[in-house]
Amino acid sequence: MAAPTTQDLGRAYENVRAALNAPNPNLGAIKPQLSQLKVGLVQLAMQDGAVERDREYLALKRSIAELGAELSIKAGETEAFERYLAQLEPFYFGGRMGLDESKVMYPLIGLNLLRMLSENLIADFHTMLERIDLKQLQTNPFIVHPVRLERALMEGSYKKVWQARSEVPTPEYVFFMDILMSTIRAEVASCVEKSYSGLPFDDAKSVLFFSELGDLLKFAQERQWTVSPAEKRITFQTAAENPRTFQGESIMGQVLTYARELERIV
Amino acid sequence: MSSKEAASKEAEAPMEVEASPEQKQAETRRILLEDITRSIGFLQRGITAAETHYIYRALRTLSSLRKRLQPEVLAEAVAARSAAENAPATRDCLATMVALLKQKPAGSPKAGACEPEVCLFLGLLSMLYLLDSGSREAGAELADVLLGVASASQRRTVDPIASRIYFYYARFFELAGRLADARPALLGALQAATLTGMKETKTMVLTLLLRNYLHYNLYDQAERLTAKTGFPAEAPSNLLARYLYYLGFIEAVQLNYSQAQAHLLEATRKAPSNAATAGFQQAAHKIYVIVELLMGNIPERSLFRAPTLRKPLAPYLELARAVRIGDLTKFQDVVDRHEAKFLADNVLVLVQRLRHNVIKAGIRSINVAYSRISLRDICLKLHLDSEEDAEYIVAKAIRDGVIDATIDHEKGFVQSAEVHNVYGTSDPQYAFDKRTGFCLGLYNDSVKAMRYPGGNHRKELAYAIEAIKRERELAHELENEEYDDESDEDAMDEDL
Repeated sequence: MAAPTTQDLGRAYENVRAALNAPNPNLGAIKPQLSQLKVGLVQLAMQDGAVERDREYLALKRSIAELGAELSIKAGETEAFERYLAQLEPFYFGGRMGLDESKVMYPLIGLNLLRMLSENLIADFHTMLERIDLKQLQTNPFIVHPVRLERALMEGSYKKVWQARSEVPTPEYVFFMDILMSTIRAEVASCVEKSYSGLPFDDAKSVLFFSELGDLLKFAQERQWTVSPAEKRITFQTAAENPRTFQGESIMGQVLTYARELERIV
Repeated sequence: MSSKEAASKEAEAPMEVEASPEQKQAETRRILLEDITRSIGFLQRGITAAETHYIYRALRTLSSLRKRLQPEVLAEAVAARSAAENAPATRDCLATMVALLKQKPAGSPKAGACEPEVCLFLGLLSMLYLLDSGSREAGAELADVLLGVASASQRRTVDPIASRIYFYYARFFELAGRLADARPALLGALQAATLTGMKETKTMVLTLLLRNYLHYNLYDQAERLTAKTGFPAEAPSNLLARYLYYLGFIEAVQLNYSQAQAHLLEATRKAPSNAATAGFQQAAHKIYVIVELLMGNIPERSLFRAPTLRKPLAPYLELARAVRIGDLTKFQDVVDRHEAKFLADNVLVLVQRLRHNVIKAGIRSINVAYSRISLRDICLKLHLDSEEDAEYIVAKAIRDGVIDATIDHEKGFVQSAEVHNVYGTSDPQYAFDKRTGFCLGLYNDSVKAMRYPGGNHRKELAYAIEAIKRERELAHELENEEYDDESDEDAMDEDL
């Protein structure tokens, strides 16, 4: 099979892009087309090494990776999204491989930030923030959204996080927001267990962001809370550990360490 | 003739005849050339004895030479070393040096051979001159050539000089604002230095690489570099301090605060505290203060009073005050007012993370002051946006163990738990354990840090052998019973 030229690939890319932008894209059909595009890229590079420095080729490479990232979000494939973002990294930071700023750059970075939040990769999140231009960090809506979310999460203002769900800059964000919500619910549940002795059903529903009583009861069952339907209340066991319990093992360990160290000194 | 004699001659000169400016100039030149030649003498001794100790002695003269450098004199020193039988690389290097100093190449009939160490040393001096006189382009070019000579030689005696060459190499790139271009050479040098066991070069290149990565905010790469390479244990302490500072910074960004705090503290302790290192101390302390605050500790007040730190740390002091009181509006005010400063110190993102520490501090003080308080009052006191937020925040604080309390949702108040006796728990035990661990660690570290000069035991040995000999003589004399009182006393004295 003769390898395509950059222009051929560019046309093929436009077709796939149009298919993805259609109101109801057929994701299953687009995937093999995308793989073909990627094969085409590799063929081009193998045929002629110099093409790796060609701006047109690089721009196409970036667009195809961006397409892949968007597709994987639509298909709900987090791991694939992560891989595409790793491929895009040299295009987004540092010298940008001599290309202009991509239009979808900040939305995609924002999505990646959100992904890190939803997977609780806070250290990676902050490392990424350091690489983003400060001005963008403070003004770009795609970046500001995840940054605000993180701040609210750290403080514990879960209500704000919940509200942020309706303020997403692009519909793609909802995908990760939904993952984030279940993380938050678990987080809130662990706080509630420790800080309340009991909660009526109605209050529990609002605190845990449930709209249906059934969901709440199911959730309560999963976390093994005591539910009393007569009183319409959930009670939490205060698993107060006795501070006076003798921690023999740890004390023994400590004393043995001292003995060993002293032995070395004397 | 040593420089001392020369100096005394110079002092005498005005008494006899008023020396003309030209004469004076010629005199200072001659002294400079002599000093350079003497340093080279140290280098040569180091090379023949294969002892780095002499090399360091030569390097110590750098700072005094640097102030008086003159291109003509340097060219003269180079000419004295440009023998025809030099290795081609060295010959080229020396020729470039003269060309970049804008001097005419002068052949000297009795030019000596030039070892790589001497070549690098002369190169180092030329680089310093170019750096101080602002010829960055020429300096970068020279650094490039010197790098070739440095990497070609694997002798242990090259190590200390090469490490300095790399430092200035990176410095020239930094001044030119294209630090990223220095990376390939530095990475290559790291590999070579690791393979050939050049410890000082390795430590230097490691710190330079970290600086390089951090300059571009590449925390990921920097972190991976530190994870994959070991820092040589016997590194000079100023390099170690620098390395620890970078390490602490990376860890602070990645939220590994306890490690960051330990490393930064060590960095401030390891770095010498004099006027020349004040900048480093200030930079390290700034981050240290923020990391302490992020960990929920309040740095000691005395830290902010140190004369070299007081002024640069002033905004940080205000920050610490705001966090301690737990006042969100005041905190925001401090951040806004000093934003440019924090930005210049590259810590603005870290500072912004402090927000929830402020809230935590506020909740803690409320919990101590009130046994029961409504959520609404908490909301007002902490300037939070809504009561619901306050409820979640308090709940989170309870879960994280910041305060010990329960929330009554129906009546909307927070009830603080009774304060129980701390001495009934194992907390004192933990605190005690931590301190003991610290003391033991300190002891072990100081044992490891002690130096035992080689060959000292031999002296003692010789002394012991002599003592045995004397004893034998004494015994011999006793046996022969040919001693009188006098010699007996002598022997007694000696014994004592």
